Amino acid sequence: MEKLTHNEVVILLLQLATMLVLARVFAEIARKFKQPAVVGEILAGLLLGPTILGTFFPDAFEFLFRSHPMSNIALAGYSQVAVVLLLFIAGLEVDLNLVLSQGKRALNISFYGLVIPFAFGFTAPFFFAEFFGFSEGNKLLFSLFMGTAMAISALPVIVRTLMDLNLFKSRMGMMIVSAAMVDDIIGWMIFSIILSFMGKEAGGIGIGYTILLTVGFAAFMVTVGKSLINRVLPWINKHLAWPGGLISLSLAACFFAAAFTEFIGLHAIFGAFIIGIAIGDSEHMTERAKEIIHQFVNNIFAPVFFVAIGLKVNFIANFDPWLVLVVILVAYAGKVIGCGFGALQGKLDKYEALAIGFGMNARGAMEIILGLIALENGLITEKLFVALVVMALVTSMTSGPLMRWAMNKRKEGLEYDPFIK
Amino acid sequence: MYKKLALAIAFSPRMEALIAEARKLIQIFEGELILIHVGTKTPELEAQLSEVLSRHCGDLGRIKTIWKEGKPAKTILKTCEEEKVDLLVLGALKKEGLLTYYVGSVARKVIRKSTCSVLTMIEPKIETTHFSKVVINGTELEITPRVIEKGLKFCQAEKSTQVHILNEIKMYGFKMATAAEGTETEVANTRRKLVKEEIDYVQRILDKLAPTDLKINIKVTAGKWAVELVRFCESIESDLLIMGVDQGFSFIDRIFPHDIEDVLIELPCNLLIVK
Repeated sequence: MEKLTHNEVVILLLQLATMLVLARVFAEIARKFKQPAVVGEILAGLLLGPTILGTFFPDAFEFLFRSHPMSNIALAGYSQVAVVLLLFIAGLEVDLNLVLSQGKRALNISFYGLVIPFAFGFTAPFFFAEFFGFSEGNKLLFSLFMGTAMAISALPVIVRTLMDLNLFKSRMGMMIVSAAMVDDIIGWMIFSIILSFMGKEAGGIGIGYTILLTVGFAAFMVTVGKSLINRVLPWINKHLAWPGGLISLSLAACFFAAAFTEFIGLHAIFGAFIIGIAIGDSEHMTERAKEIIHQFVNNIFAPVFFVAIGLKVNFIANFDPWLVLVVILVAYAGKVIGCGFGALQGKLDKYEALAIGFGMNARGAMEIILGLIALENGLITEKLFVALVVMALVTSMTSGPLMRWAMNKRKEGLEYDPFIK
Repeated sequence: MYKKLALAIAFSPRMEALIAEARKLIQIFEGELILIHVGTKTPELEAQLSEVLSRHCGDLGRIKTIWKEGKPAKTILKTCEEEKVDLLVLGALKKEGLLTYYVGSVARKVIRKSTCSVLTMIEPKIETTHFSKVVINGTELEITPRVIEKGLKFCQAEKSTQVHILNEIKMYGFKMATAAEGTETEVANTRRKLVKEEIDYVQRILDKLAPTDLKINIKVTAGKWAVELVRFCESIESDLLIMGVDQGFSFIDRIFPHDIEDVLIELPCNLLIVK
């Protein structure tokens, strides 16, 4: 078996250590400003990557990230595992129970919250493809990707905001959470379909077949797969070490599913996401175990993954202010109009509708993952990727304050007019 | 509280026990009893029924028995509506076969669709059951304040010895994971706050009700509420689970069981559905 040389091991460990330390420092700074950790982690990446370290201390950057290609490959492997795990926990977060019991009330919000941002995201690049950095390839795929990128949301940011505002348990909070869950499931399915078409336009598998494969895999996992999981988990809980057995085997299941979807031509992350849903929905997957898996991924794998993003791209050289502005505007318009309209349809008042729009607007980590995969597959340019990352950060950072503002307005309004509609 | 009780009878081996249980209930609630049988009226069945009735309800005078033909669940539900029944009592199996579950048994259909309260007995006894240990679903639903109010009234009438009201923290693992961006103290505070919020929710409902001499315990769980209810009932071997149903259920809900469907898959004990 090939192995790293003495120096390569030292460099790899130094890379991991610096990335974790800086990620923690900046995550703490972000926390002081009540911002999600991912904001800090991306900043740490900017500092360590070509953007700052590479520009001002090229020797140090060269030594740490350019001198030993084998260490970088090992680091890339670590990041690959990280992204699979991130999607796995995103799946664990989806609570099908909650979605089903919210029923039709949340459906309006998730429907319009998906379709309108998608339409906005699709139309703009379809007609102004060059502005968005599209040069060659399939324009339809490119526009579909932009649609998906606008439609996806960041559940952790949304939940955190709702908890901070004491809204999680309210009718509105439940609606936002379940609507975001539905949008994410559909969003990742569309993205998975788009990805399987990348680079295999001629003679590849047909669109019908890919859709069938994607939907079929998801449907199979949440029905038959879930009932299998429901049979195996009680045995694991009873006979194996707890929570060791449960955690290592559910991660193994995640990697198996990821390998399987990658093998059949869908992306690995899709398998991880769907099996996350199936495992998370089992009543034998205890909340305590979910919490441990979250901590493990969020604090060991996620920081390295998000810092690594800053290593790959020069954020200053690729910063196109107009593109960033347009992407942000399209993102805001799509979600606020879409979710707001859905909420109004669901008989909520105008401030509640605004608050829901701002809440669902947070794109967070999920957008960055989506963007990175698109970048790696050559679907988008570095400039557009930077714009998407900035949009993800801006929407996440503003989501809480804007929601608070809308709810305060509503409170003021209620004092004057108890029948605000 | 329940002035008009109906008992659905099927001339099964458990019929006598069910009649004895219904007899006990109308004594507690000082109500009247109606018997509903879906099937053909024959002299043999009539004789069998009047023999059992004379053994348990001899002192009640004439008991109204309704014989109707048609689809069992639909006919029972329709009769209850026509007769303005407050509480329907019926027997049910603890667990259905897989096929019966998806197709739907009579008892489960009635529970899902009934407009009046339904008491489902999984082990009716001729010497009657005392609902001593009772579990009430206190999870945050629109119908919950009503379920707790009615449930406690039932327990008072029945003189239950211990009442547990269960509420759960939704998405506990996820919430704690997001809270973990704080310091150790902040995390501990969040944990405490989450538990306290759920206790407070039930307590606020209790505060609005007239005080009782019942021993009430509020318990907070994490996870899917229906599954936790079943587990808790099994662990304390409760005699009765009281909960509400506030929405219609369709076949989709059986494919992806949630809420009450999680309970119906395998009834942990007798079940009172409050309407």
